Amino acid sequence: MIEILIQGAVSSAIYAMLAVGFTLIFGVARIINLAHGSFYALGAYGAYFLTSQGMPLVPAALLSILAVAAFGVVMERIFVRPMRTQSLLAVLMITLAVALAVEQGLFLTFGSEYRNVPALVSTKFTIAGVDVAGQRLLTLVAGVVLIGALWLFIQRTRMGSAILAISQDPVAAQYMGIPSDRIFALVMALSAGLAAAAGILAGPFLTVQPTMWLLPIIKAFAIVVVGGLGSIPGSILAALMLGYAETIVAYLISTSWTEIISVLATLLMLVFRPAGIFGKRAAF
Amino acid sequence: MFRDKIDLTGAVVFIAVMAILPVVFKNDYLIGVLTVAAIYAIWAVSWDLMSGLTGRENFGHALFIGAGAYTAGFLNTVWGFSGWWSIPAAMIVASLFAVLMGFPTLRLKGPYFALAMLSASVIMQRLMLIFWEYTGGEEGINGVEPLIDSQLSFYYFTLATLVIVTAGLLAVARSNWGLILRAIRGDEATCQAAGLDITFYKIASLVISGAIAGAGGAIYAHYQLQVSPALFEVVTSITVITMVYVGGMASIYGPVGGAILLVLLTELLRDFGEWRLMIYSVVLILILFFLPRGFIAPVWQRFKGSLGRSSS
Amino acid sequence: MRGATVLQVANLTKRFGGLVAVNDVSFDVRTGEIVGVLGPNGAGKTTLYNLLTGFIPPDEGTIRFMGGELRGMAPHKIVRLGVSRTFQLCRPFVGMTVLENVLVGCLAQPVPPQGREARARELVEQVGLAGKEGLAVEVMSYGDQRRLEIARALATGPKLLLLDEPFAGLGSGEIADLSALIRRIHTESGLTVMLIEHKLHEFMKLVDRVIALDFGELIADDVPERIVTHPRVVEAYIGGAAPDPQEEA
Repeated sequence: MIEILIQGAVSSAIYAMLAVGFTLIFGVARIINLAHGSFYALGAYGAYFLTSQGMPLVPAALLSILAVAAFGVVMERIFVRPMRTQSLLAVLMITLAVALAVEQGLFLTFGSEYRNVPALVSTKFTIAGVDVAGQRLLTLVAGVVLIGALWLFIQRTRMGSAILAISQDPVAAQYMGIPSDRIFALVMALSAGLAAAAGILAGPFLTVQPTMWLLPIIKAFAIVVVGGLGSIPGSILAALMLGYAETIVAYLISTSWTEIISVLATLLMLVFRPAGIFGKRAAF
Repeated sequence: MFRDKIDLTGAVVFIAVMAILPVVFKNDYLIGVLTVAAIYAIWAVSWDLMSGLTGRENFGHALFIGAGAYTAGFLNTVWGFSGWWSIPAAMIVASLFAVLMGFPTLRLKGPYFALAMLSASVIMQRLMLIFWEYTGGEEGINGVEPLIDSQLSFYYFTLATLVIVTAGLLAVARSNWGLILRAIRGDEATCQAAGLDITFYKIASLVISGAIAGAGGAIYAHYQLQVSPALFEVVTSITVITMVYVGGMASIYGPVGGAILLVLLTELLRDFGEWRLMIYSVVLILILFFLPRGFIAPVWQRFKGSLGRSSS
Repeated sequence: MRGATVLQVANLTKRFGGLVAVNDVSFDVRTGEIVGVLGPNGAGKTTLYNLLTGFIPPDEGTIRFMGGELRGMAPHKIVRLGVSRTFQLCRPFVGMTVLENVLVGCLAQPVPPQGREARARELVEQVGLAGKEGLAVEVMSYGDQRRLEIARALATGPKLLLLDEPFAGLGSGEIADLSALIRRIHTESGLTVMLIEHKLHEFMKLVDRVIALDFGELIADDVPERIVTHPRVVEAYIGGAAPDPQEEA
């Protein structure tokens, strides 16, 4: 039981890191970025690559996060922005294409075998009589810290208010002189970086292979839909729901069913709850 | 059905070329490539009817393809039915999936439908792996009997199917049905205000799209003689979509060219076999940027236009 | 007295969360009337239309059209019974020509296929768009788009036509033309018409009777001459001065 409690929290933390970034991008730029999962994958692969070249883990992790953040900004600028004039579906299509291109790029560079991202914390801890891998605990803690920091940033700083303003009303925000382009870039960088961090933290205990972007993005989309597009608290709550649902299934039934259950839950959420639990707006 | 004689001539020339190529080159490998190209064309054309006309892009077309292929696989290997039962059975099964998925998702706006279909195809892929005892897991179903023993005859059968399907869907697209689908793309509320039951039309066209894709899947199964869960993958859906984009959305005939072009392209680059999917994604990106209306259909229209001018 | 009651609305209510958009509204419309719907922005006029045409379900109340209950019917079925509407913002089918737009409206009717195109052409002519059948709708002027909207609504063969701010965005010349068109259609086909508008001048000349809404409530139901001096209407509109029928609102 304690195991479920802790592991569920760990899963939820990973999903929250992905979902929060995803919903932030939507809230600010109104785009559904299917390549968000690619940030997650690139983060993990970046850490793997740099450490396999001999770089120590911590700088490798930081560098990877920065690189992915930069990639996110560039990707939005070059690929997504021109499509926005066409249609929402065109944006969806191009992000899907980019995600596939990234997957193939990783496949061609690193092959399809599972790769190893070294763990930051290798020791095992015992909590309430249960053994928990240190890395998983770190993921949970880091997730909480990072999301908390992001939340504070948005609530307490000027930049953060700008972000909120743009998500509420992009046109009005522009009239106030808020530089939406720069804010987009900032949000993109933050979201991509957060997703990359999730990849680096979870890499040691989750599979690292080129197709690792797909399931996280499907789940992130469902989480964000349930939690309400643009709502960070909503995403966190929905991430908890999905994380625990998966963990309970894994412990009570079997791990091979977790993937199915979560994607099935995704489908059901998409079908029955497009307005979201907390979102102030239905998505479209 | 054909707007003018030029279209008809073009179609006849195309069919003739496709029919004569294997006779001229007498190369089994070429016949194989052309057969696969024709099957992909069937998938692409079926996607275009629904998603091209209504603008409701379906990111999970692989669902219908895989459903058709697995139906064929099971019918043939487990229950011993001859391959000729596969095609109608596949169409029925795929239609059921279309109805099942269509009802809850088509009433939702834009990206929800796209992503719900995506999720559904991923679920089916996972299910095929989870129930590996029944489905053969990663390896899939092996030992499917060929529909027709002769390579050449199989190709002609597939080509004939493609021609019939394309002609049929072109007729649908040019009919009132097509008009309604395009109106749905324009504005759904206005369509309802015109007295049309848009839910019926959306689901019905998804069913047609799915049934044909399923039939293609069955043909594919009886060609490859095996069925693998990879058919349900996202990559399959994206490949088909890329072919439609290259061909020209909503033209119905364009995707035929798109499919053949892309299959031939990747065959030419078969030394870079690993790069196949990378090439597809790059092509898709390029098309979205530079030729969102596609390549084949606009070129054909341009060609027709120039003929008209030079003959007058 | 004009004739039989074609539309009977009783106690119609719609809430959106805490907001009551339409509040216990009741009124009748008789065959052949042109009834105007007046009210400031946010009064609930378009919501009323959405309720009548089945786009949103009412929370309470009944809507009887030609004796049958409309409540709970799907929008396209209501259209087939004979209620058609236009939208406040012109929404033509983009990517299709004028004729194709009108043709779509004909599809719901039990007209044989050959007859449909002829009927569509007839309608295009009737609304004054003759010669523009092949135009793509994106290049049309706003006034022409409005005519197209009306043609498409007429294509469904309605007995009751609901117009939502047909004069919005038009210049005074275009308004006069459109107003004449509406009058002509009404006289020629004996349609019953409901009309939401702000442009009081033309509005008052066109309608037989006005129902006025404010904050979702029906505050007046009378002939135009008496509406403009009705105290609650005056209060709702300008809070003091009577709405001047000589002015554009």
